[in-house]
Amino acid sequence: MAPPTGARPGWSRRAQYGLFFGFLATIAGLLVGLFLLGLSLVAPQAYAGVRGVALDTTAPITGALRQATTTVGGLFSGAGNYWDAARQNAQLKEERARMHRQIIQARAIVNENRQLKAALQLREKTPAAVASGRIVGSSFESRRRFAVISAGTGNGVRVGMPVRAADGLVGRVVDAGSTASRVLLISDRANIVPARLLRGGQAVISTGRGDGTIDLRPLEVGRNPFKRGDIVVTSGTGGIYSPGIPIARVVKLDDDGAVALPVADPSNVSFALVEQPFEESALRAPAEAQGPR
Amino acid sequence: MVRSALGTGGAINRGPKRLALFIPAMTVVAASALALLPIVTEVGWVPDFGFLLLLSWRLLRSDAIPSWWAAPLGFANDVLTGVPIGLSVTIWSGAFLALDLLDRRTMWRDYWVEWALAALLLLANDVIRWRIDALMGARHEFAVVWSPLIIAILVFPLAAWAASALDRWRLGR
Repeated sequence: MAPPTGARPGWSRRAQYGLFFGFLATIAGLLVGLFLLGLSLVAPQAYAGVRGVALDTTAPITGALRQATTTVGGLFSGAGNYWDAARQNAQLKEERARMHRQIIQARAIVNENRQLKAALQLREKTPAAVASGRIVGSSFESRRRFAVISAGTGNGVRVGMPVRAADGLVGRVVDAGSTASRVLLISDRANIVPARLLRGGQAVISTGRGDGTIDLRPLEVGRNPFKRGDIVVTSGTGGIYSPGIPIARVVKLDDDGAVALPVADPSNVSFALVEQPFEESALRAPAEAQGPR
Repeated sequence: MVRSALGTGGAINRGPKRLALFIPAMTVVAASALALLPIVTEVGWVPDFGFLLLLSWRLLRSDAIPSWWAAPLGFANDVLTGVPIGLSVTIWSGAFLALDLLDRRTMWRDYWVEWALAALLLLANDVIRWRIDALMGARHEFAVVWSPLIIAILVFPLAAWAASALDRWRLGR
């Protein structure tokens, strides 16, 4: 049977016209969508205002909910800590003693390092923290990995600034509202971080895989330099991230690289620090230095 | 309906809710706003709630949400979830157009046909998002897309149930 030439809601002209103009309006909507999408692709900064305002209005809601869930979660994990407390206590004491010995060693190394650097007259900048914010939400509906932090341009945050936690690198700012900003996590596919192996110092490239893990490739082709448990830190190349921030720990080797897990897990990190870029000039051209996001 | 006679609520004074015409669209915006939940994960495998509920409404009845509302609803979804602006506007309008055209072709409808249509549209949604992500510099392997897609397809009956329950509530049945 041939399909009818058009949907007819009845004999009412008004209803027929309504249907027809609705159809035209849908096509217009599709075209507008394609135009907006094209603009997002070629000129993402055109939406900086809209996206900033959206972040400012939505992040407080997420932040308030986050506060509530951490309080409730804290009740449960707090109760869990009392379970098996004696054994935990012994373990922690032992660990504390071990850490104490390591701290003394580290202090000695720092001292020595300082003397050596002074001897070499090496000028070192430690980037100042611009702002700190709580990680309140993430893009859990998408394959892209973003997090939302509760610090924005009002606190001095600018697009392109690196974000770290106490444990390690988190990512860099891609959208900034006045009280909240969106961070491109290091586990996102579009976030490429120049890095080096902590053991040996070989230069590697770290790219997110979109599933919570990180892909590591050595810059020089050759023997696979990775071992399980290796730590990778930022190298400072590119000028955004200051050198020496831990990025990831290797968990699996593949043929010419390795798969690693981020050291700073955003779901456990409560505070994120936004820092000045290592080189000031990197902020002026973050898109060129890092490729499109 | 016979069972409604056994219910506790009286049959008098029941009728459509005051905003019955707008309730479907409002629930879709609310579903998009689920992206604001304070869940911080390293893996994004949760389905796109806004699109799921939109499809459920559209497949349940074609007059619940006028086709041209897909574009503004998509814009709300873009702003709330933080995907590139224009992506949901395009996909949602395209899905409504496709379903409008398909409505003339399909000879019969049952649960399985609806589920298959929803699965196809969810697949199209994920493939388009995958291509757009690649254009924006995130070239995922397609393997990353599979598991969230399968989860979304399996969650669809739940969304369809939610839409039909909301429909009964808004019409006061």
